[in-house]
Amino acid sequence: MIEVIGLTKNYDEIRALDGVSFSIADGEVFGLLGPNGAGKTTTIKILTTLSRSDAGRCIIDGYDVTGSPSEIKKRIGVVPQENNLDRELTAYENLLIYGMLHAVRDRGRRIREVLETVGLWERRDSVVQHFSGGMQRRLILARALLPEPSALFLDEPSVGLDPQIRRHIWDAIRKIRKDRRTVVITTHYIEEAEALCDRVGILSKGGLIALDTPENLKAQVGEYVVQFVDEEGQLVQHICRSRDEADERAKTIEAAVTIRRANLEDVFIKLTGERIE
Amino acid sequence: MKALPGWYPIFLREMLLFRRKLLRLSYLFSAMIVPLIYLVAFGFGLGKSVSIHGTDYLSFLIPGLVAMSSMNNSYTWVASALNLNRIYFKTFQVFVQSPISHSAIMAGEVLAGMVKGLFASMLIILVGLATARGFTVTPLFVLTLLLNCFLFASLGIITGMLSRSHEDTATYTNFFIVPMAFFSGTFFPLDKVPFIIKAIIYIMPLTYTNILIRKTSLDAEGLVCLAVLCAYAAVIFFYGSRIIRRYSE
Repeated sequence: MIEVIGLTKNYDEIRALDGVSFSIADGEVFGLLGPNGAGKTTTIKILTTLSRSDAGRCIIDGYDVTGSPSEIKKRIGVVPQENNLDRELTAYENLLIYGMLHAVRDRGRRIREVLETVGLWERRDSVVQHFSGGMQRRLILARALLPEPSALFLDEPSVGLDPQIRRHIWDAIRKIRKDRRTVVITTHYIEEAEALCDRVGILSKGGLIALDTPENLKAQVGEYVVQFVDEEGQLVQHICRSRDEADERAKTIEAAVTIRRANLEDVFIKLTGERIE
Repeated sequence: MKALPGWYPIFLREMLLFRRKLLRLSYLFSAMIVPLIYLVAFGFGLGKSVSIHGTDYLSFLIPGLVAMSSMNNSYTWVASALNLNRIYFKTFQVFVQSPISHSAIMAGEVLAGMVKGLFASMLIILVGLATARGFTVTPLFVLTLLLNCFLFASLGIITGMLSRSHEDTATYTNFFIVPMAFFSGTFFPLDKVPFIIKAIIYIMPLTYTNILIRKTSLDAEGLVCLAVLCAYAAVIFFYGSRIIRRYSE
């Protein structure tokens, strides 16, 4: 169980988080969706003891993040936004050091298990600097899973990867989900949030502006989107409650019209008037 | 299975990286080149016609070069690596998010810095033993060398943690380490230095290393130097641990 209560963080004059509150149940896959600068990474950094909040509390499995950081560190796994592996060490050496830092028992067996989970056991003795971006992400995921954390934090797990590799990362996250581990994902990819998360919190300018299942969030704004390009070349979108309403709306537009199902980006646009990406 | 001490994985990581660096000759070359240039220029060149306190200049110079080299290598490799690992590669964050103490992070990094300092010093010592007749390695010499490596590796942590960029690290080095290398008794004895300058020189920890490392046994002056070095080392180590403990992004 993760509880975040009134989380506030300032960087000099800029308020990165402004009284954010939410709770995550055990075994839930929870997404924080928002554009760059919305406060997603700041939230993850505070929850994973890397950053201190200016106000508010975070509690993981009954332990306060500020008051008992050592207990928190024993319970969490982190996949940061950057590939912060030791590039001059092998995949195995990276995991060996991490396993020692986290006092993982039966390290050799666990390293083999997690490397097999992400499909990198055969490359265990390769130096990481020869790995592709996708392989490095998978290795970081394996590293985070090594101590068998009860909560896993993934900050933009598939950022910068091509769509095929992104799908591999999603498959690996789905495997983790089967272990009933709590997973927190930050992303600015709509499809990622919809594909992986049980619930999604939408962050904008340091505030949590919506929180629900992807289906409920979409239902709040409408099910279908009518979109077309106007005479000035601007993309225009109308959100409609039903397919019939969308069809009626389309008949009133002279330009070429597309009707599609609403997604979380439409929710974001409806709530903020801006796009996520 | 007995739990490993918290500092060990940090130290092991640095040693694995160090082993790979040693295979690249450029690393060995960069660790050796500056003291060897001084050795050739001052020791074998100027030193032939100079004697200090009745001993040949080379025998005076070698311990100073060992002190300087151990300072440079312990400090520089720790400061620049930590700065890069924290700001650019973000590997330092892995340690901070691990359930080990801040002192363990400090100790692991400092021990690794000491190994790098000792490695560079060993090369100078070997040259000294082969070329300078009056140069000997005593237990006090070894103790001083270890203490010097510990002190400057700890200082390297502070620089690496406080620098906001790689350029910052170079600035700290130019302001503190380079003057220390030249003015704290590495190349010449301090007894004829004017009083005002001497007062500044005696703030520098390397001055005490240079005095102590040239002694064959521990006399009253040596004891004072040892006490000062221990005090510096303790304060710098605990301050470094405190900076790591307070680390927040």
